[in-house]
Amino acid sequence: MTIARLNRRRFSFFSSIFGLTSIATWFMADLLWRGGLTGMELVLLLLFVVLFFQVAVGFCTALAGFYVINRGGDSRRITMTVARGEDVPLASTAIIMPIFNEDVSRVFEGLRVVFRSVEETKKLDYFDFFILSDSNQPSQWIAEETAWAELCKQVNGFGKIFYRKRLNQINKKAGNVADFLRRWGRNYRYMVVLDADSIMTGQALVQLVALMEKNPGAGIIQTAPRIVNGETLYARIQSFGNRVYSPLFLAGLNYWQQHEGNYWGHNAIIRVQPFMEHCSLPDLPGSEPFGGRILSHDFVEAALMRRAGWAVWLAHEIDGSYEEGPPTLIDSAKRDRRWSQGNMQHAWLLTARGFRPANRFHLFMGVMAYLSSPLWLLFMLISTIYVFATLRSPPTGATRPEDYTSLFGYTIEVPEALTLFVLTMLLLFLPKIVSIVAMLGQREEVERYGGRVRFVLSALGEIVISALLAPVNMMFNSKFVLFTLLGQGVSWVPQKRGSDDDGTDWREAIITHGGQSLFGLVWGLSALILLPTFFWWLSPVLLGLLVAIPVSILLSKASFGRRARELGLFLTPEESQPSYELRRLRQNLAECYRHLPPLEPLRADYGLMQAVLDPYVNAMHVALLRQRRSTEEAREWFAQLRQRLLHDGPEGFSTKEKMALLLDAESMIWLHRELWSRPASSLAEWWRLAMRQYNVLTTAPTTALYR
Amino acid sequence: MSDTSAIPPLITFRPTTGTMEAWNAAYVRVEDYLRAHRIHNRLHSSRLILRILERAARRHEADPAQDPTVLAAEEAEAMMDRWFADVLDERDQPHERIAVDGRVALLLCDGPQKWPYAFLETESVPTDFVQAMRAGALTAGPDMAVSSMVPRPIDLGPIPEAAGETLETFERLPILRTLFLWLIFAGVLAAIFYATR
Repeated sequence: MTIARLNRRRFSFFSSIFGLTSIATWFMADLLWRGGLTGMELVLLLLFVVLFFQVAVGFCTALAGFYVINRGGDSRRITMTVARGEDVPLASTAIIMPIFNEDVSRVFEGLRVVFRSVEETKKLDYFDFFILSDSNQPSQWIAEETAWAELCKQVNGFGKIFYRKRLNQINKKAGNVADFLRRWGRNYRYMVVLDADSIMTGQALVQLVALMEKNPGAGIIQTAPRIVNGETLYARIQSFGNRVYSPLFLAGLNYWQQHEGNYWGHNAIIRVQPFMEHCSLPDLPGSEPFGGRILSHDFVEAALMRRAGWAVWLAHEIDGSYEEGPPTLIDSAKRDRRWSQGNMQHAWLLTARGFRPANRFHLFMGVMAYLSSPLWLLFMLISTIYVFATLRSPPTGATRPEDYTSLFGYTIEVPEALTLFVLTMLLLFLPKIVSIVAMLGQREEVERYGGRVRFVLSALGEIVISALLAPVNMMFNSKFVLFTLLGQGVSWVPQKRGSDDDGTDWREAIITHGGQSLFGLVWGLSALILLPTFFWWLSPVLLGLLVAIPVSILLSKASFGRRARELGLFLTPEESQPSYELRRLRQNLAECYRHLPPLEPLRADYGLMQAVLDPYVNAMHVALLRQRRSTEEAREWFAQLRQRLLHDGPEGFSTKEKMALLLDAESMIWLHRELWSRPASSLAEWWRLAMRQYNVLTTAPTTALYR
Repeated sequence: MSDTSAIPPLITFRPTTGTMEAWNAAYVRVEDYLRAHRIHNRLHSSRLILRILERAARRHEADPAQDPTVLAAEEAEAMMDRWFADVLDERDQPHERIAVDGRVALLLCDGPQKWPYAFLETESVPTDFVQAMRAGALTAGPDMAVSSMVPRPIDLGPIPEAAGETLETFERLPILRTLFLWLIFAGVLAAIFYATR
């Protein structure tokens, strides 16, 4: 696309945002105007402008998307560069999956599905697979090693699927990827980054590599993963919303950003050489939470690639790219806690030299995604104070300014606040309504959502639930931003999961949402007592806060999610007609989870037990360890640890001590030998139980993989 | 009564030293160890246990102070080391090496499942089993191609640079930071005071 054409697109996109924000600002200023603006009114107006701007960005993105989709798609999208059926020669590609204490079954069954899918394209020779583990729990580590070996055996993947365990988890995921690149990056032209819950089909991966080969200026191509495999009501509603509304937003994003897109950290292909040259991240000034290492690396990496002249594309229409969402509202909040800190850090980079304006905009919107919550809260609280203040000095005269709308000197007898409210609601909900109406027009497509009636009911349900959740998320994010600014961590209630169906329990929900509900109650009662009409304006926000506890519990139930699926509600095409890969994953996981868990007393340290007791796991673990020289002092310490482990069992051991033993090959060999040769009387009861029970019921170690 | 003349005599091995409890414990230990090796062929397992205990019993006769469990474990280990060395053709290796190599090879070729009578068998070891054992290799990563990936500084622009320097100064000087926080607090109080007049 020519620069002039792209500039025209951007001009119309940003002018629309500016225009809408200006009109809304006009109304707001008019509403607040009382022969001038007081300090409080000025603050309110400024907050309104910032917040409405963000709403307008979303609306205009969807509007642009609607325009593009109505025209049959963007003629200038990256996927158009490879013709359908064109066989483009591929290049060496590493598929990397950085993991950190994830569900081992899910990680390796997911990888199995991706591997098999690539194999079926007959292009497997071009791909290598890497599990890059930063897991820091002993049992997790051993389970990963065992699952890796089993998977390689089963799919004949030795030499194609590799496992790397970092000893020092420096710089988290970005550091893990950088570690891979320093070791093996030169062997590959591209890498595809997957999250632990990502699935990509072989076709999608081959298409991505082909696109890179056809576009030598492309540095990153990001796909738009669909949210799948939700079981709880919350996850299924999120999945439904993502599936129905995201096409409009993605098409709109691509419309104005084109080759200046963003990177979302996974389900994307990256050209390795320029990434290594330009995307190693420095630390920010100061220390965490403001400075220090960059936590959300993806946006910054996209900006650095663009700064170096490489294109970053969004290939949103590539099918076969999936990820999973958090199962509950509280899990989602925990994720937001991490993301909020990372996104807030991006404020440092807004004026970084050499960054492209589009990337600055991405970074700014990332900051605003979280900063807007406390700003909304502040806006509403100041509005409340402002309204209460006007009670003391009510305006005199026949008509009050808030009872009419003034436009270029003309007076319309509609309350100005209502005009603003309607305008804001229009901008918030119109994209959803347009998406729903557009979907209803596609007879075949809507059947994949369970038919017209169920689709409409699901959409209405999604709108209601998202409206109820919006104030809760506002409260969460406000807290996260505030705590980040104060340099504080957020503590969470330990989950008590009895079974998969349990979801959030009452205790967890009350402790997590209790403060929010209490805040809503005090706020609502104050408004109701002082000014009932204002109470009704606040009621949508108050309702969400007041019912946060039961809604959070209700949405976390897998049984409700399944029931809704049986009723055909919140159904997505990925559920009604899942791809072969998703079906395989579901079947394999069901088989994994059917297996008996280890005996309860052995469960907590099962990995350590296997590494010491199981001859194969022990040998494999030792074979994968790097030989290290240790000092005399260290050897003495290890000797004491080993004796203690056999004599007392692992109960009194810290994670650090267990990890130290697991890292020491000499200790692991010694422990295995000693365990099996010592008389039972000199072993801890824990070990005696383990030896008697091991392999009694299963013929293979209890790991993620059984076939 | 049935005719017992056709029944061959029971195996003649029986330990002459040590208590029955001690030999039972040794039996259980070897049985557990073989099960840990996924030797689920009971017949084969029994033969191996007997062979191992027989050797242990001979050593126990020479030194009755030794615990039969310890002796049986040592015999099992020694047998495995010799057998792995023969099968893998890796003789004169230390125990640590051959035990690890052997067990990894056995795991990778699924030996106990695919060749249920092969484990520790010295006579007529199946050729395909030997080939499978020798073919197995555990490669956690490909050959390294080390490159450097050095973080490049990002010029944050004048405002963030100044803010960064200020922040770092605050971090170095906690008193200054406290004073600044007090100033902000006082400012907020003043703003609320002004707004509510």
